[in-house]
Amino acid sequence: MKHLLINLVSRGTEMNFVGFRSDVRTLDEPTWLTKNTMAAGFKTAEPLEYHRSFLKENCRPDGRELGEFRTTTLNIGSISTADGSALVKIGNTTVMCGIKGELANPPVDAPNKGYIVPNVDLPPLCSSRFRPGPPGERAQAASQFIADVIESSAVIQKEDLCIVKGKLCWVLYCDIMCLDFDGNLLDACLIALLAALKNARLPEVTVNKETEAPEVNLESRRSLNIHKHPVGASFIVFDDSIMIVDPTAEEESLSTATITVVTDEEERLCALHKPGGTSLSGEKLQNCISRATTRHKEVRKLIDKVIQSAKTPK
Amino acid sequence: MPTDTKRVRGPEVSQSPSLFLCKTAAKKSTASNDARVDGRQRGQVDVRSVFVRCGLISQAKGSAYIEAGNTKLICCVYGPRETERKDETDMKSGRLITDMRFAPFSCRERGSWIQGSDEKDLSLMLLESLRPGVCLQKYPRSQIEVNVMVLENDGAVLAHAVTCASMALADAGIEMYDLVLGCSIRQEGATYLIDPTFLEENGCNLASGSRENLGSLTVAFLPSLNQISGLQSDGEMGEDTLTGGVRTCIEGCFKLYPVIQQALSKAVRRKAPPSES
Amino acid sequence: MATVQVSEAEKVYILHGVRDDLRVDGRGCEDYRHMEIETEMVSNTDGSAKVTLGHTDVLVGVKAEMGKPRPMVPGEGYLEFFVDCSANATPEFEGRGGDELGMELSNTLYKVFNNRYSVDLKSLCISPGEHCWVLYVDVLLLQCDGNLFDAISVAIKAALFNTKIPKVHISEDEEGGKEIELSDDPYDCMRLNVENVPCIVTLCKVGHRHVVDATLQEKACSVASLIISVTRKGTVTCVRKVGGGSLDPESIFEMTETGKRVGKALHAPLMQLLQEEESLGKKRQKVGFLG
Repeated sequence: MKHLLINLVSRGTEMNFVGFRSDVRTLDEPTWLTKNTMAAGFKTAEPLEYHRSFLKENCRPDGRELGEFRTTTLNIGSISTADGSALVKIGNTTVMCGIKGELANPPVDAPNKGYIVPNVDLPPLCSSRFRPGPPGERAQAASQFIADVIESSAVIQKEDLCIVKGKLCWVLYCDIMCLDFDGNLLDACLIALLAALKNARLPEVTVNKETEAPEVNLESRRSLNIHKHPVGASFIVFDDSIMIVDPTAEEESLSTATITVVTDEEERLCALHKPGGTSLSGEKLQNCISRATTRHKEVRKLIDKVIQSAKTPK
Repeated sequence: MPTDTKRVRGPEVSQSPSLFLCKTAAKKSTASNDARVDGRQRGQVDVRSVFVRCGLISQAKGSAYIEAGNTKLICCVYGPRETERKDETDMKSGRLITDMRFAPFSCRERGSWIQGSDEKDLSLMLLESLRPGVCLQKYPRSQIEVNVMVLENDGAVLAHAVTCASMALADAGIEMYDLVLGCSIRQEGATYLIDPTFLEENGCNLASGSRENLGSLTVAFLPSLNQISGLQSDGEMGEDTLTGGVRTCIEGCFKLYPVIQQALSKAVRRKAPPSES
Repeated sequence: MATVQVSEAEKVYILHGVRDDLRVDGRGCEDYRHMEIETEMVSNTDGSAKVTLGHTDVLVGVKAEMGKPRPMVPGEGYLEFFVDCSANATPEFEGRGGDELGMELSNTLYKVFNNRYSVDLKSLCISPGEHCWVLYVDVLLLQCDGNLFDAISVAIKAALFNTKIPKVHISEDEEGGKEIELSDDPYDCMRLNVENVPCIVTLCKVGHRHVVDATLQEKACSVASLIISVTRKGTVTCVRKVGGGSLDPESIFEMTETGKRVGKALHAPLMQLLQEEESLGKKRQKVGFLG
């Protein structure tokens, strides 16, 4: 029995890259508030006032500044049943993306292309606000947004997925699942998707000349060609005026508008998502875009670092 | 077939590449008959070492993550909250609701987003296994929701789901009579494989190549009460094989017990640090 | 599932009775209620049977259709189960009320038949990888009075025994194209070997003992039951615990032993009865649904 325990402890330390990483920096509320039992009551009774009192001091209930992202961690390739996978944590928000390739006939209207099928799921597991059953509005909107980003940024050129023109192509199923919903879903989904695509390795497929049947060789796998690296940054507008980056679920529920800016490595805008809410001045939007470009560099660095460390044998 | 308008759709038919494997590379049997592919011994109570952690999901009342070999599961518990079904005649005790799902990328063949009948069956088995362990009469008029997500399926998912869910229930502070632990075995010839991997579960490593089901068994066990709360088997086996299998599974559960206990007490200590006085 | 309310006094009465091996309706702990079986009830199926056990009434129809074998097992046919809980049986099944129970029953049936011996699936293959017989086993609950599993399994065995699958002939033309011909003679058909089809025995733990074929009243006194599917030889193809309670390992071992004994004893008279009915041929007196 003893060896099992020792086994466990040692597994725990090597877990950092293969499994979950939960040792994310904990961001506590300022001590002057947590010590006070009144504060908890204040928070639940008057959430808006509670947040305002922090924002007045240019900080947020979790101790962040207005333009500060939560700690972002990433690990890749932890799911061996998927062709590529990534787990992203932004603060508490946890998103997992798994990519599986399947073979199909190319679309009739574009015989030299393959398919990319992204879907975002918000299972009841990730938050009490989601019910079991078919995807709700939130999940549908997220799926569509991710599909749009893939389409407009050309992360992967669909021509790369064609194996035999008009006969055979790859279908990349990118299934994104939220495991812990604490705001800023879209940013996390995009990072997870990008990292999983970079991690993905598809087996080699040849077509037998005689039988015209595909033959798959699992031993030799190739990685995908990633043309662009779209990375998002989300903001919310608080009280029609204050901009906050990387909102938590609570902040999102109090916001008057949300906006997501997606940029690529050439600092070009891939997508801009602002579903309703209060209006925004051009100057503020410009600020968002420049914050998004700096965020892009940070995330790129993170992804490259993780992929590099996954390559070097432990 | 009804079209799913709420998701991004792909082509109507697509096939898994594993159906087109080159025939030459497909069969590569390991020569040694004694050890299993992952190095464990046949016919011994050699469960995979597990990694467990409680309280990972910030939004849930309680949560747990378990990893055994490549099998990875996560479980969240929400509630107790007011029951949704008002027509229940018996309101004196609470309701336990279980939902077990496979992530689409968790299996060798890509799964669908829509819950299949096997997932519903697993949810039901999970419910049957957990219910005897939970003091439901302490939660009148309320429901407790248990959600399990299989992130990677490498065999014995039901057994690990039971263990994981009971940890999440404990982490949520739901009153329980006992922990519920799960263990699976698969009979192979005269010997057995405890805590089988996905390949072993589907009989893919048999030398004969036949996919004969000589018996698979999953037991859910309450260790300190010495009660079996869940039992399921399929495949043809004799009565003595069955009783022997149940005994082996109980033994397997006892191997797991201290590990789970330790993880839980660690989680409790983290939540409520000992007072400094 | 259809349940009844039992008062405390009734519970004590039933418990004491079971303790002394005498149940409310006079049976011993291992006795079944009166069972009636009739095959070939529905003419537009390939095989059918109706089983009445106490007041539990189930109808099973088997339809053979041609389909494509599963890619992993190209040389075998397969069975599909569907259980319909009609609102006839109990008003609770109205709308989607019976779906959950139907799902549980059909999933258990898949487990019961998930082995090589129950039905010879290879005999259902027509041409490997291309065509096979798919047997659709449809179960219809007409009345629920406890012990659904046992009644359903007996009805399935009887219906499979009764099933006549038309013989097909595969001819090949010059270009290598295959053509499937169905035999013209309606009596030229294939029968299934049902010797190894298991029967389910449900054991209900009541007090310290367990009873076979529990009525709804007895079921209300029990915390947990064990479903055991037993073959003619006494091997077990499926075990499942149902009900909210838990069981002692020792009592599980006792229950499997009883299940094996009772199940084995169930097979012989059942097969004998089915063969007798078959041998009567056209002289057989039809009872029908109103009998």
